[in-house]
Amino acid sequence: MMSWSTAAPAVSAAFLASLVEVVEAFTIVLAVATLRGWRPAALGTTAGLALLAGIVLLLGPLLDRVPIHSLQLAIGILLLLFGMGWLRKASLRAGGIIPLHDEDAIFAAETAELSGQVSRQQSKLHWVAAITALKAVLLEGLEVVFIVIAVGAGRGLLMPAGLGALAACALVLVVGAVIHRPLSRVPENSLKFGVGVMLSAFGVFWTGEGLGIAWPGQDLALLLFAALFLAAGLVGATLSRRIGVEITQ
Amino acid sequence: MTVFKEVVAELIGMFVGEKALTIAVLMVVATAGGLVDFAGVTPLVGGAVLLFGCLILFIESVCRSARAGAF
Repeated sequence: MMSWSTAAPAVSAAFLASLVEVVEAFTIVLAVATLRGWRPAALGTTAGLALLAGIVLLLGPLLDRVPIHSLQLAIGILLLLFGMGWLRKASLRAGGIIPLHDEDAIFAAETAELSGQVSRQQSKLHWVAAITALKAVLLEGLEVVFIVIAVGAGRGLLMPAGLGALAACALVLVVGAVIHRPLSRVPENSLKFGVGVMLSAFGVFWTGEGLGIAWPGQDLALLLFAALFLAAGLVGATLSRRIGVEITQ
Repeated sequence: MTVFKEVVAELIGMFVGEKALTIAVLMVVATAGGLVDFAGVTPLVGGAVLLFGCLILFIESVCRSARAGAF
């Protein structure tokens, strides 16, 4: 039987990671809707969601056919690469080496680019807008699907992880519908930092299990791994800030 | 076709943010697996190599990127 202590890390990782991705997709869909109206935005979003559902329905059943250790190893390695990539960027952003993610700036850039495309292709303006929304939903959605599969598949937690992702979608949609502007006040880098820590910890855990390593304390080992990656992320941010100051001097 | 290419590029970019880090992480995983499967080392030693190898690689990658001044 699934316990809350087993499901909580997977659900919270899926929720927080999905929150980041959905906020990014929402910014672009909102830019499309603001410039060209809700019709092409809704069309592109629906098409993107339908494509994502098709991918999940096509590939989902294949997961049951993969031996559990091979699945854990493959997902663990992918999670390590994905999670450490997020954590690395978040550390560099926290250290001031690369700029923070700015939803207002992305909204403005996307609106300007769409305006340019629309003026060049007046007859195709609805399609340009719809395809922009489709791409945003599909690309960010693929990351959500991967995260849900990655944190859920190894222990039969696909359903709770999926519910965590759906809750993030619902939260962004409700807040977005109310304020009707880019969700720029979401502390995206802090979220990415936290999610990078959690996904990296999951990555080490699953990779180890896939290699036949029985971690002491079983699932509790995840907490130790997360603490170590958090410390590494903070050390990375401090060192990168120091290096940045030395270079500018 | 452009959308398809962008999806493929995005998928690759999800896991290969920095090539050197990706290759190094894969080598650490292979080393840990080799130690457990072929060298007859206690699995926990393989686990320690995996965990601390990834942590060291992470900090090295952040410092290297900071020195380069960009990601």
